[in-house]
Amino acid sequence: MKAKILYIEDNEQNLYLVTFILEKHGYEVCAATDGQEGIDMAARILPDLILLDIQLPRMDGYAVARHLRTNPNLATVPIVAVTSYAMAGDRDKALEAGCSGYIEKPINPDTFIQQVEQSLTKQEE
Amino acid sequence: MIACLVKACMPPNITHLMGFFISLIRSASAYPFRNLSLFVVLILLCFEVPPARAEVRTVTVGVYENAPKVFTSETGKPSGIFIDIIEHIAKSERWKLRYVSGTWSEGLDRLAKGEIDLMPDVAYTADREKIFLFHKIPVLTVWSQVYARKGSRIQSILDLNGKRVAALDKTIQLETFTRLTNSFGLKIILVPVPDYKTEFTMIASGKADAGLTNRLYGLMYARKSGLEDTPVMFDPAPFYFAAGKNVSGKLPEIIDRHLSEMKINPQSVYYAAMKRWTSEEVQFKLPLWLQMLGLGLGVALVMSLAGGLILKYQVNARTGELKLINQEMEQRIDERTQALQVTNSKLQVALENLAVAKEHAEAADRMKSAFLATMSHELRTPLNSIIGFTGILLQGLGGAINEEQAKQLKMVKNSANHLLSLISDILDISKIESGQLSVFFESFNLKDSIFKVVQSVRPLAENKGLFLSVEVADDVEEFTGDVRRVEQILLNLLSNAVKFTQKGGVRVKCQRNAGNYVTSVTDSGIGINGKDIGGLFEPFHQIDTGLSRNYEGTGLGLSISKKLVELMDGTLQVDSSPGKGSTFTFTLPNVIDSV
Repeated sequence: MKAKILYIEDNEQNLYLVTFILEKHGYEVCAATDGQEGIDMAARILPDLILLDIQLPRMDGYAVARHLRTNPNLATVPIVAVTSYAMAGDRDKALEAGCSGYIEKPINPDTFIQQVEQSLTKQEE
Repeated sequence: MIACLVKACMPPNITHLMGFFISLIRSASAYPFRNLSLFVVLILLCFEVPPARAEVRTVTVGVYENAPKVFTSETGKPSGIFIDIIEHIAKSERWKLRYVSGTWSEGLDRLAKGEIDLMPDVAYTADREKIFLFHKIPVLTVWSQVYARKGSRIQSILDLNGKRVAALDKTIQLETFTRLTNSFGLKIILVPVPDYKTEFTMIASGKADAGLTNRLYGLMYARKSGLEDTPVMFDPAPFYFAAGKNVSGKLPEIIDRHLSEMKINPQSVYYAAMKRWTSEEVQFKLPLWLQMLGLGLGVALVMSLAGGLILKYQVNARTGELKLINQEMEQRIDERTQALQVTNSKLQVALENLAVAKEHAEAADRMKSAFLATMSHELRTPLNSIIGFTGILLQGLGGAINEEQAKQLKMVKNSANHLLSLISDILDISKIESGQLSVFFESFNLKDSIFKVVQSVRPLAENKGLFLSVEVADDVEEFTGDVRRVEQILLNLLSNAVKFTQKGGVRVKCQRNAGNYVTSVTDSGIGINGKDIGGLFEPFHQIDTGLSRNYEGTGLGLSISKKLVELMDGTLQVDSSPGKGSTFTFTLPNVIDSV
C-alpha cells in the first residue's frame, strides 16, 4: 500500500501540482492550506510523510514544524520543508525547527518523486 | 571805638600820628586819668598841626661793623639788630633814614660833631653822657668775651698774662678789661684794631693771641674765622642809641617809647630782630674727602639714576615691543583658533553628513538586498508552476502528447530553467554585495559531485559536437566544504567553457596537491585577451558587448564563483590565450586535511 502524505501549502497552483504528481505516482495525499489546519490534520490522520511550505500565512512553516514535533505520535514522521527561501541559513533554520529534509522550490518534476521516495526510505531506515 | 571816630575825622596827611595815638589809647587802660588829659591834648594837637609841618624828617644814622648788632651786609645794606629796630621806629614815625658808614671811632666823632643824628650800639658812660644824649631803655645787654685760636688753652683770665690781646679802641669793653687785668696784676700787650673783623683775622693769622669782642659777634663769626670762645666773660653792658647833644625832635624819648612798647609784645620787631640776629648760626663744614666722596656718590647716584632711567626706558620700549608681539601672537592664535573652529565645525558637519550618507547607503543596501530576496522568491513562485506543469506534461502524467507538443514544451522548460538560473544568480550577487552570503561546511564526495555536474552539462556539449572529458585522481574522494556551492562553481565554469567553445572540447581535471584539491576546466574556445582578464571577475561583466547577443548570460557567474571560492579559503585563477582557449583552475583546501 502506498504511503499517506500530508501537504501543507497555501498556494493553490503549487498544491495542485504536487498533489497531482504524488497521486499520479500512487500516493494518498491530504492537503491543508494553513499551519493550524495542517497541525490538526496531522494529529488526526498520522501521515507517513509531511511536506511543509515555509512561507505560510499567520503561522510560518518553522513554527508549524516545532508544533508537529511536540506531538509524540508524530515524533518519527519525516517532515520535508518545501520552500523557495534560498537565503543563507534557511536550511539550518528548517532543520533546527524539526524538519528532516529540504526540497527547494521550484520543484524539479524529473527528480521530485525521487526526493520524496528518499525521504520515506530514510524514515524507514 | 574812639580810635575809629578819630581816624574818621582826621585828614589823611596826619595819619602818621595814628600809631602814637593808638599806643596812647592802649596804655590808657593802665592810666585811665592821665589818659584822659593826654587824649584831650592830642585832639587839640591834631587840629593844630598844619599840613606844611608834616614834611618827612631825615634822621642820619652812623653804621660800623659789629655784627650782628650793626654791620653792612654783603649787598651793602646796613643790617643788624639796631638797624632793624631803628627802621621799624622810622617807619612808624615816617622818618627817612640816611646811613653813614665808618669805623667805631669815626662814628663817635661824627656824632659828637653833629654830622649824624644817631649812633647805634653805644654803651653808657658818665663821660659819654656829657657829649651825647642817651635814651633810658637799653636796646640790649651783651657780655664781653675773650676769643682765641682753637687749641689756645686759655681757661681763665690769668692765662692771658703776657699775651697779645686785640681790642677795639675807645670802648667800654676795653676799659673794663684793662681794669680787670690790672687788678689781677697781669701784663697784657694790647693790639688796637679798627673793627672786630680785623681783630679776628689777626688772631687767626697769629698776629694776636686773643681778642675782645661781644658775645653776639663771637657767636656769629668765631667758628667761621677758625677761633673758639674762652671761658673768660666779663662786664655785661647795656647798649643804646646815642644821639647828638644838639639833635632836635626828642629822638631819645621817641626811641624809648617804641622800645618799651616792643619789649611788652613778644611778636614785635624787637624780638624778631633778636631772634634773627642772635641765633647761633651753625656752620657745619664737611671735610674735603667727605665732600669729594659725596660728590662722587652724587655723580654715581645721578649716573645710576640716569642709567636706571635709560634702562627703564629701554625695558619699557622692549616691554612695549614684546606686548605688541604678544598681542599680534594672541591675535594670530585667535584667528587660527577661529579658522580651526570653522574647519572643525565644517569637518563635524561633513562627518555628520557622511554618517547620514552611510546610514542611507546602508539602509538602501539593506533595502536592495531585501528587495532582491523578495523578488527572487516572488519570481520563483510562478516559475514553480511553469516548470512543474511543463514537467508533468512532458512526463505524460497529464495524458499522451504528440511529438510537436513535446518539442514546444521542452522549449518552455528550457526557457523557464534559464530564467531560474538568472534569478538565482541575481539572488547570489545580492547576497554577496550585502555580505549575507555564507557557506556551510559538510563532508561530501567530491568525485561524485564532479561527475554529477559533468553529466548535467554533457547534453549541451554533445549538442555542439564537443568532447567532454573528465580526469579525477584516485585519492580525490571525501571533501569538507559547501557541496551545493562547489557544484555551483563547477557548473558555472563548465557552462562557460561549453558556451564559448565552437570546436574541440572541454577537459575537466581534479587532483590533490598537498592539502588542496585542484580542479581545472580547460576549453579550446575563443580565449580571453590579456587586457580583459583584470575585469573578468567583476559583476555584470561579459567581455565584448557584441558577445552578449551571441552568448546569453547575466555576466554574474564568474564573479559569484570567485567569491564562493574565496569564502571557502580557496583561489580561482585563469590562464588564457585568445583563439586557443582558456583554463580556469580553482583550488580548495580540505578543511579536515588541513586540520
